[in-house]
Amino acid sequence: MKLTSDILKLDLPSVETRIKQFIRNYVQKSGANGVVLGVSGGVDSSTTAAIAALALDGQAVLGIMLPEEETYSVADAQHAKLIARKFGFQLEAVDISPVLRSYFQSLPIYDGSDKLSKGNLKARTRMVCLYYYANRLNKLVCGSSDKSETMIGYFTKWGDASADLSPIMDLYKTQVRQLALHIGIPKEIATKPSTPALWPGHLAEEELGIKYKTLDLILFGLEHFMTTEDIAEQLNTPIKIVAGVKKRWLDNEHKRRLPLTVKLGYRTAGSDFRLPYESR
Amino acid sequence: MALAQISCRVGDKEHNLNVMKENIRQAKQKEANLVIFPELALTGYMCRDLVYELAEPVPRGPYICQLEEVAKKESIHVIFGMLERSEKAHATLYNTAVLVGPSGFIGKYRKTHLPTHSVFEEKRYFRPGYQASVFETDIGRLGLIICYDVFFPEITRLLRLKGSQLIACISASPAMRREFFETLTVARAIENTVYLAYVNLVGVENGLQFWGGSRIVAPNGKIISQAKYDEEDLVTGTIDYADLERTETFVPALRDLRPEFFDLLKEHTENL
Repeated sequence: MKLTSDILKLDLPSVETRIKQFIRNYVQKSGANGVVLGVSGGVDSSTTAAIAALALDGQAVLGIMLPEEETYSVADAQHAKLIARKFGFQLEAVDISPVLRSYFQSLPIYDGSDKLSKGNLKARTRMVCLYYYANRLNKLVCGSSDKSETMIGYFTKWGDASADLSPIMDLYKTQVRQLALHIGIPKEIATKPSTPALWPGHLAEEELGIKYKTLDLILFGLEHFMTTEDIAEQLNTPIKIVAGVKKRWLDNEHKRRLPLTVKLGYRTAGSDFRLPYESR
Repeated sequence: MALAQISCRVGDKEHNLNVMKENIRQAKQKEANLVIFPELALTGYMCRDLVYELAEPVPRGPYICQLEEVAKKESIHVIFGMLERSEKAHATLYNTAVLVGPSGFIGKYRKTHLPTHSVFEEKRYFRPGYQASVFETDIGRLGLIICYDVFFPEITRLLRLKGSQLIACISASPAMRREFFETLTVARAIENTVYLAYVNLVGVENGLQFWGGSRIVAPNGKIISQAKYDEEDLVTGTIDYADLERTETFVPALRDLRPEFFDLLKEHTENL
């Protein structure tokens, strides 16, 4: 198997059809009135919102922009509005700055210099808002996590990855960009640098220390049971980098599962209590 | 025959039974004398721990009895998949294909190759079968295999050597496996000069999407009938067993079989 960008190429019409079918099927089985999702103007949420609108029709999709004063970007907001107009879904905005300020004032140990903790607070606040909308409107929260960030744990636990369904979670970032262009997301959005926007100037590739086009190939190799040595050799990348990605991937399994417990019972949730996701 | 490519509600035998009854009725209207449903059509595929409450003894279980009655009433043969519970050891389950007909229950086949990799966990729940099943019926000699069995030429070969004229492969194949099945169903038909009817699920269960694409493959590998991809469908096709002889004379693979290879296969498989 050769780790080149070709290996990440998708049968885009088939992928589009399958994701749309998945969304339609899940929403219909749940009895919900559609989906609500956080829309940042980034490629992941734009692609997810667009494909949900194509699957369900725009009336059933509600995008919520959740800006806050520290990281607000006019360009990103315009991108979100552009996608909503193009794909015909509703868009609302909820400024979460007042909520965050309350947290900053109320939490006895709040420390504004701890960028990560503060950033996670923002992500979890967004999740809370989305679930409020979902509960009030009988909609499902649709996540826009991609496979790259899911594999390396580049998300906030119980924050931005928390959702009822996550249609692009099995696509690497570079593949999401392919899909985005295929379904008609404007190139400026489909190709813009990725950012979780948890603090000013926050760019994913800078924080990760690696470009997605390399990261995705490393992750693809790990997904396919390749050794770090083989991956490093094929990509002409220092083995330390590949090993670092692998370690991050393994260390973040806790983010992808229910909390661990000690097995004491006959069947244990998250372990050997294996029920279908939907039944009857 | 009719290929009833349906989607199922996981765990809802009543709903699935009604869907099957409607498809049997429609197949009969289209003058089919055999209708084939997918793997685990009665319960859905991704039942996980619910299998213990959904399985029933074959042939004495309540839902299989209802399907027997329908087959008798409509005077039609039906092949379908279901969860079977051993009558001797109640937590011993099988992934089973059942054949019923105008006279009632004809026979069953327990899946011999149980996929336990990727999204599949059948060995967790099922005991494998130990028989290759061929049934003598008014509509010919029918062999049965289930899904992953098609990856193993040995069992289809055995069914053919035992006299099958038509092999039904019932399936719950998810989308990423489509290319394999489209190749293998044709390969199994050609190498055995046998008719092969493949019936797959459609729909989405637990995020797993079944691709449909049910088909009847002629002994020369041609596709006689093809159902839609990703949608429910009921397609029919007519087969003529006289074509088996015509194809065999053109591709005499059975005549040219070398039995000594089978001893070697056994030895090398045991020493894998």
